[in-house]
Amino acid sequence: MRYLGFRLLQSIFLLLGVSLLSFIFVEAAPGNYFDEMRLNPRITNETVAQLRQDYGLNQTLPIRYVHWLSSVSRGELGFSFAYDSPVAPLLWSRARNTLLLTGSSIAMAWLVALPWGILSAAKRKAWIDHASSVIMAILLAAPDVLLALGLLLFAARTRLLPVGGLASLATKSGMWPEVRDVAVHLFGPVLILVLISLPTLVRHVRAAMIEAIDSPCVHAARAHGIPRSRILCRHALPLALNPLISLFALSLGSLLSASLLVEVVMSWPGLGPLLLDAILARDVYVIIGSVMIASLFLIGGMLLGDVLLFLVDPRIRTEGLA
Amino acid sequence: MKPRPCLLNFALLVMLFVLSGPSAFTQPPRSTEDLFISDNPVGRTGGNLVVSLRSEPKTLNPVTSTDVSSREVIAQLTSDMIHINRSSQRTEPAIAKAWKVSANGLQYRLELRHGLRFSDGSAFDADDVVFSFKVYLDEHVHSPQRDTLIVAGKPIVVRKLDQYTISVELSQPYAAAERLFDSVAILPRRLLEPAYNDGKLDQAWGLGTPPQLIAGLGPFRLKSYVPGQSLTLERNPYYWKVDKAGNRLPYLNELTYVFVANADAEAIRFQAGDTDIINRLNADDYSVLEKDEHAGSFHLQDIGSSLEFNFLFFNLNSSLPSQLVRKQIWFRDARFRQAVSLAIDRNAMVRVVYRGRGTPLWTPVTPANNLWVDTSIPHPARSVEDAKKILISAGFVWNAEGVLLDKSNSPVEFTIITSASNAQRVKMATMIQSDLKDLGIQVQVVSLDFHSVLDRIFQTHDYEAAVLGLGAGDVDPSAEMNVWMSSGNDHVWDLGEPHPSTPWEAEIDRLMEEQLSATKRRKRKALYDRVQEILAEQAPIICLASPDILVGAKNEIENFKPAALDPHTLWNSPELFLSSGGSL
Amino acid sequence: MKLNRTIMVLLLAAGALHIFALCAGFLAPYDFAQQNRDLLYVPPSRLHFNDPQGRWHLRPAICGLAELPNSPGTYAEDRSRCLPVRFLVRGSEYKFLGIFHCSRHLFGVDPPARMFLLGSDGYGRDVLSRLLYGGQLSLFCGSLATILSLSIGVLLGVSAGYYGGWFDAVVMRCAELFLALPWIYLLLAIRAFLPLHISAGRMFFLLFAVIGFVGWARPARLIRGVALSGKERGYLLAARGFGGSDLYLMKRHLLPQASSILVTQAGLLAPQYILAEVTLSFLGLGVGEPVPSWGNMLATLLQYDVLVSYWWMWAPGLLLIPVFLVYHALGNALQESADCRVYSQ
Repeated sequence: MRYLGFRLLQSIFLLLGVSLLSFIFVEAAPGNYFDEMRLNPRITNETVAQLRQDYGLNQTLPIRYVHWLSSVSRGELGFSFAYDSPVAPLLWSRARNTLLLTGSSIAMAWLVALPWGILSAAKRKAWIDHASSVIMAILLAAPDVLLALGLLLFAARTRLLPVGGLASLATKSGMWPEVRDVAVHLFGPVLILVLISLPTLVRHVRAAMIEAIDSPCVHAARAHGIPRSRILCRHALPLALNPLISLFALSLGSLLSASLLVEVVMSWPGLGPLLLDAILARDVYVIIGSVMIASLFLIGGMLLGDVLLFLVDPRIRTEGLA
Repeated sequence: MKPRPCLLNFALLVMLFVLSGPSAFTQPPRSTEDLFISDNPVGRTGGNLVVSLRSEPKTLNPVTSTDVSSREVIAQLTSDMIHINRSSQRTEPAIAKAWKVSANGLQYRLELRHGLRFSDGSAFDADDVVFSFKVYLDEHVHSPQRDTLIVAGKPIVVRKLDQYTISVELSQPYAAAERLFDSVAILPRRLLEPAYNDGKLDQAWGLGTPPQLIAGLGPFRLKSYVPGQSLTLERNPYYWKVDKAGNRLPYLNELTYVFVANADAEAIRFQAGDTDIINRLNADDYSVLEKDEHAGSFHLQDIGSSLEFNFLFFNLNSSLPSQLVRKQIWFRDARFRQAVSLAIDRNAMVRVVYRGRGTPLWTPVTPANNLWVDTSIPHPARSVEDAKKILISAGFVWNAEGVLLDKSNSPVEFTIITSASNAQRVKMATMIQSDLKDLGIQVQVVSLDFHSVLDRIFQTHDYEAAVLGLGAGDVDPSAEMNVWMSSGNDHVWDLGEPHPSTPWEAEIDRLMEEQLSATKRRKRKALYDRVQEILAEQAPIICLASPDILVGAKNEIENFKPAALDPHTLWNSPELFLSSGGSL
Repeated sequence: MKLNRTIMVLLLAAGALHIFALCAGFLAPYDFAQQNRDLLYVPPSRLHFNDPQGRWHLRPAICGLAELPNSPGTYAEDRSRCLPVRFLVRGSEYKFLGIFHCSRHLFGVDPPARMFLLGSDGYGRDVLSRLLYGGQLSLFCGSLATILSLSIGVLLGVSAGYYGGWFDAVVMRCAELFLALPWIYLLLAIRAFLPLHISAGRMFFLLFAVIGFVGWARPARLIRGVALSGKERGYLLAARGFGGSDLYLMKRHLLPQASSILVTQAGLLAPQYILAEVTLSFLGLGVGEPVPSWGNMLATLLQYDVLVSYWWMWAPGLLLIPVFLVYHALGNALQESADCRVYSQ
């Protein structure tokens, strides 16, 4: 309990550090949101300068930081120049779509990776294990962009899959067709994300299972003549679970950031396109806001991983208390 | 963990479904209304149109919006008093059905249409106009529109004469006065005055505002908005245009904007049939869609040159980092700039960058602007020999390796900056680099993110040369004042000079001022021609090329008349209809 | 024994890659920046072993191309204008290994014919030549950045795991901070302070320094985990009991433990860093046009027309897969052999 409290306190300071450094970074970058207006021949410099002042860009960094902190306490996460609105509602409406995408792809990836990894561990050195490791090696070596673009090309050429978006505009009747419509749109992006994360997951599952199968207690179980499939599920799998749980915690941490590339390529209405827009336009509070949310997930995931490790491994437990 | 976001989206979809109730019935025209009669072929009512937007609109507030996407949507929701017809490029009556100019050219008397209603059904009269201009001109609101409504340093004065008559006073005769009113949306006083009085007008009419609180005089009104995905407009049943048969426009029931991440995604969605009209295709995507054109259900159109001009310019600022002073001696020499201009192969540029769907430029006024372009400007073909002769006359020499040396025997080399997110300008810079190698000039291309480029050009002046593009919003020279006046904000190559630094710049200043207050078009044309000549001779900017406007639409869309002016396709949205009458 | 042979083969493959890249000037038929503005997006040249009369030749020939008059962008071969492929031809000048001026190329054809074995790009530049030159930057930059980030990672990870306590907490929170921060903006700021034109050599140094410096956090976390569990092992406690110094214990006992993770990480990171360079180019911190890198060649695929119309432009992307496979496999093989050594200790 004390360890948990200690780590929580650290995480809060860490979040503060992230926000402060983000502010400093953003401040240091050249240009600001209103620069683009200066290219418009119909807008005078005075108007641009006035807008900068109105949105508080003329204030010093510490003052803006304090303002921002107070807006965080109101749950607004700052103010978007582009949308003339608080950042939090902007982010949440899109984070939902991102979570839908990454959540279902992480679930799918684990659903595939667990049996796959267990199978190739059980049939170690058999042809099926070799074939699987070759497939996984190729998937791992293929750049993510290439996979995403390959799918886009496939969708554009064959028209079997939608080429982007979350839902088509045409279907409007009933709940079931709409759910199916979203599912059809989800398929492509989820497939890519699963393919991207699969090699790592399968490799870890396989390694953990092999270690478990080689452990004395499984040998003992086998000596007792318990059927092989039963050994795998009832004896080996629980043994292999620990490293997998902390891996799962880590993958939760990247829930918000894992899919940005795929979202942009497949026009998924999540955080990716919003963030890309904001980065290019220097809509600074949107960026700081999304950095904060992503850090929250990242730090939360790592915290979860550490806490689980702490609970599982007595060696670390004693260290943490010291 | 998985079901939660799924449920949320599901709830969202259900909500959307509930919100989209039956659409309003079109009001039959009444005799008390002054309606605009469109002379286009009569169409069929009904149907939905889906178009893409390259980025999400940021606000629906006509007073504060600046970005292209927002303005495109707002243009469908609102109307102006006098409108520039995108096709003829001339002004035509909109909310103001007629106007008279006083003899001295200082007062305009605008007669408004009687009996019009905003899209929420509330009545419109002169008070709404007066309120709108009060808002736009209010210094505390900081509307970007305010700057266009200032003539010769003084804001225009808008007064109500009676319920349907408005007077507009200028401090000085202004050649393009009628064009000032274009895209200045008339706002409903009833809905916006409370926010204005509270000083919160800039936050009114955001994307989260309920549709019933947003009203305008445009052909459509807001129906629903799904963050990150789409925005749907429905027919304004009170719109002030009818067709020749007396049917109230627009024909379409709904207009839906879907948001896509970039230009390529726009093309992909159009190709897949998700969207019905594509607005600004680039030449690369055009070449892809072209292959599907015959098999597909759409057609593409190259409607010729746009108003966008891309150009190379050198840093001529007088305040600049000290290490650049040495190089600026070359840049300030008009002969050096002319030699560079002569060595650039503009025709190849159009081929490589625009796949032949563009126009090489020797003047910033593109052929699209047929009212104002000076056709007598020479179009010299690329000639390395001539360029070398000019350089010799300016005192440059070449060493044994063929490297160009200046008078102090240091090699001539410079860096071109350009925005990394604009592939076409990066291509232009790369081609210039390759072209100037033939002159013995070593050029480096540095592509930076757009804001870094802007910061260097506008703020720090820390650059040597840059490739940039400007797209005029209007064909009239008055829209370009800030670019050519030596004190202008967009006089990018030499910013913030209090006095013109050369005689020819002083002459341009004088000519531009003069054309602004001249009232005869022929006189103005002669003055503006002279400006174009000086620009071609002195080459402060080296014009490169202009892309063609490439659009596409499904075959079923009738009355489709793309134009050179923004927005190229949907400017006549009230008149668009579907030959099938149903939805696509 | 079998393991060692695998490692040898993989090392040879990796070495060959690097040597190819180093000798790009000699192997590439053209200069990477040479534009052919009337030969845009030309598909890979066909090698003809028979002439129009149907006679066979051992030496292949390449035919001139002409754009079809009524369909721009498509080219037809002119079989009457064929020129043989020749070896050790004189062509554009380059610096062999960056030192000797040289103008001989391994193979080529005489102008006006053009030899695009992997097609040409949007400027009419030879994709094969660009691929070879691109490897120079990408391979070496990727490797050096990996070495840098792993060195920082080992230093911080091992000491954090070994000392534990507040030092461990600080280092690990720093690592998380590094993972969370919006680096893009700091890089933009750095770019603004640097001179506008940065010479290729300096840019190379800058690139790998930035990538390596930003990337230490992930390996550091992993290595710290290994060190953490390793330091409670019996032999380490025993070594400490014999009076081993901290430095000795870390070097002699924790580092070998971590080495197997290190090599796999190296195999995984190098490919990532090769691609990371694209993002940096976008910020003006990478190599700009016309200099090629594998990253920016892959990035051209993001343009829709290139993606669907010109299949040969996929070559850089598809070529990356075997290259990355070599890296990964080498990492894995080295890890296995490292594990063997640890066990045999």
